[in-house]
Amino acid sequence: MGTTEGACFHCGEPVPEDTSLFVLRDGQKRPVCCAGCQAVAELIFSSGLGRYYQFRQDLGRKAEQDIQQELEAWQGCDDRESLWGAELADGRRDLLLQTEGIRCAACAWLIRSHLENTGGVHSVQVDTATGYTRIIWSPALSKLSKLASSLMELGYKPHLPLASAEEQGRQTERRDSMKRLGVAGLGMMQVMMYAVGLYAGDAFGIEAAERSFLEWVSLMVTLPVLIYSGRIFFQGAWRSLRAGRPGMDVPVALAISLAFIASCYNFFTGSGEVWFDSVVMFIFFLSLGRHIEMMLRHRNLQAGTALARLLPEWAERITPEGRETVPAGDLEAGDRVLVRVGEGFPADGALVLGATEVDESLLTGESRAVGRREGDKVIAGTINLSQPVEVEVTASGEETTISALGRLLLLAQSRRPEGDAIPQWLVPVFIMVVLTVAGLTWTGWQFIDPGKGFSAMLSVLVASCPCALSLALPVVYAAASHRLLNEGILLTRGQGLEALSRIDTVVFDKTGTLTQGAPELVSIEINPDRKELEANAIVQIAAALESSSAHPIARAFRQAAEKNAAHRQIRVDDIRVHPAAGVEGRIDSRIWKIGKADFVFIAGRSGQDDSIWLADDSGWVARMTLQDSLRQDAQATVGHLRGQHLQMIILSGDSQDAVGQLADRLQISDRHARQSPQMKLEKLEAMRAAGRTVLMVGDGVNDAPVLAAADVSMTVKGGAELANSAADLILTSESLSLIERAIETARRTQQLVRQNLTWAVAYNASVMPLAVLGMLKPWMAALGMSLSSLLVVANASRLVRGSTTERVSESQPALEAETS
Amino acid sequence: MNMLYVLIPLALMLLGVAVWALVWAIRSGQFDDLESHGWSVVLDDDQKPPPGPGETAEEEEEKP
Repeated sequence: MGTTEGACFHCGEPVPEDTSLFVLRDGQKRPVCCAGCQAVAELIFSSGLGRYYQFRQDLGRKAEQDIQQELEAWQGCDDRESLWGAELADGRRDLLLQTEGIRCAACAWLIRSHLENTGGVHSVQVDTATGYTRIIWSPALSKLSKLASSLMELGYKPHLPLASAEEQGRQTERRDSMKRLGVAGLGMMQVMMYAVGLYAGDAFGIEAAERSFLEWVSLMVTLPVLIYSGRIFFQGAWRSLRAGRPGMDVPVALAISLAFIASCYNFFTGSGEVWFDSVVMFIFFLSLGRHIEMMLRHRNLQAGTALARLLPEWAERITPEGRETVPAGDLEAGDRVLVRVGEGFPADGALVLGATEVDESLLTGESRAVGRREGDKVIAGTINLSQPVEVEVTASGEETTISALGRLLLLAQSRRPEGDAIPQWLVPVFIMVVLTVAGLTWTGWQFIDPGKGFSAMLSVLVASCPCALSLALPVVYAAASHRLLNEGILLTRGQGLEALSRIDTVVFDKTGTLTQGAPELVSIEINPDRKELEANAIVQIAAALESSSAHPIARAFRQAAEKNAAHRQIRVDDIRVHPAAGVEGRIDSRIWKIGKADFVFIAGRSGQDDSIWLADDSGWVARMTLQDSLRQDAQATVGHLRGQHLQMIILSGDSQDAVGQLADRLQISDRHARQSPQMKLEKLEAMRAAGRTVLMVGDGVNDAPVLAAADVSMTVKGGAELANSAADLILTSESLSLIERAIETARRTQQLVRQNLTWAVAYNASVMPLAVLGMLKPWMAALGMSLSSLLVVANASRLVRGSTTERVSESQPALEAETS
Repeated sequence: MNMLYVLIPLALMLLGVAVWALVWAIRSGQFDDLESHGWSVVLDDDQKPPPGPGETAEEEEEKP
């Protein structure tokens, strides 16, 4: 992957002008943006892993300059056996670390190569999709902090081992499914081979002894396959029957078991044909369908893991002996913790020392900072913006507000309606039809030829076994997910596509969805009486005053200042930050103030004024307006969606003014400001009750329950991890035009689903009469079944093939936007 | 004596071996990471890493 001029060789971010750091490669100097990236790149080259740069598909994660502090925190945990991972029989440990920054297979290779050269590490596996790194290591030869530091040296960020039991469970499920599939596949090959012999025997003659030998071998192979691979269908059928809602497993289990029992009966009494080949073939194709479905499901990250990542992992606890860094989960009510500027609060608590501003957009969606004084409550996961403070913990871990929100999310997810997807009502109908016809066939033959009754009934069950039908949906969704991924959209729940294809309402969350999520300086009004300074100089002064703050407004000023060619660092002395008000400082013996109107010049303006004012000793100099700017293609996307007669609504936690302004620019008349998650949820439920199908596009954590309650949901890049895991689709690039692309793909997917279902149903319906009349031989049914399944798969793969040509012609602008 | 009675049991034994090999491979995690191992073929012929784990360990201690 090429890097452009002036971009960091490792992470691709622009190299600051006053930085001249390089790494040497092939005798050439390659610029890097910071010491962190330099160290990482040098380590990669010196360990002979430089090929990483040639083959990586995405740029590296910007390295952290100072890993020392985090490393010390890890070292504090070296003695905790509970963090070492599951113990293996030989004393080694199986540790699962979620690691940030893994982007492509080259990253996985890099991590593996580097870690496996570290002493005490036995083997390393990296899952590129989920970012999990599994390390088998010996605690006797290495340390936890050593493993963590190896990852950090490469520029990746490991997280404390959390909730790994769930991932372990998923891995077991994946492996079990693969084993079942493999056993069924190998068994199928064998039994089909014997079946060829038997059918050839039917045509050309075969000795009775040989025939029964082949039948006996088929039985011996079918039995273990039935018990091992077919077990899940019996279990599934039993579960669904007990729950009183017969599912697809019921006719499957019935067909498999009846076909097997009848074959055994016929074999032992020597009274007719055997259908062992059909039995194993059903099991194989059905297992294949289940496997594909499971792989899709696993792509969805667990909500719990993502939630845990929102909370800071470490906390600085203040004890009588001094300060110590502990995992945030260890905090208890009554502990005192120090929270520095720019850090998140590790637990719910009350401020006991200091006053600050807090970014609570995580919970409220409000993009402006909120002032907090001594005695005020702070919530875990929100960010401390202006002053270091001390907090007395009132609730931690599971009891925090954010964890409660997570539970709300899980509840909303479980409450999510089934949706009126075609298969949902089709399943019981199909089952009823099959069972009725099978029963009638048996009854009918009792009057004509009782001897043929049982075998004709079996033929009905065999011929109508919904092989193609069970594959019809999973394969199309697998293909759709593949295609969406190529376009930069991650599909986490296949069923979401069905709802997406028939939406009539799109609900946007304003903060960070339609906008960039960070304020930008849009206008400067200079005091008409004080023209000695021009706009540029004012911006430079403002940026200098705000230089030490992590506040989003401060960031906006710094960005505006850096954009300017004449950017220079101004020296400011005696900076004093007044939380929730502003900053003052001295530049060349003049005292400057920047902040809200009442802070800067006492009275005159109302408190409602949202502008930022700059003043010196002799009065105000400039008034600056900040605004959260629209995403580049928001206008075009909204226009396109309107063209498709989709109704658009903005539900935002932001202020009336901000939402109104934005909605006017996008010409969206249906807007609601100051919405709490609860209100959003109610509005959404009201809309759905009115019969609308709603697509929710959001990004904040506070949206997670709302996302889960919509018919289908989407999050944009930069969206908090939790929102991602609640969403059906995740847009992986900044481009909003992906929304239309997703809708288009969903519609095409639905079309293919309908075709596949129509075919599967039509096929089963048309062979059924033949089976009823006893005219369908088992081998014909078996062949027809395979061809029918193949057709369904081939039809689904059209979705993948169709995408490449369209991509070249249509998505050029999107690609350019991504790389720039 | 029919060859069928020799060849089919032989095939069945091979089937048993195949199933055992498959289960072993899945258990030992050979199918868990299908991506990065493919890359190692193209990536590994870079200059060789410093030989022996001892040297690598030293180097890491220099760079905390």
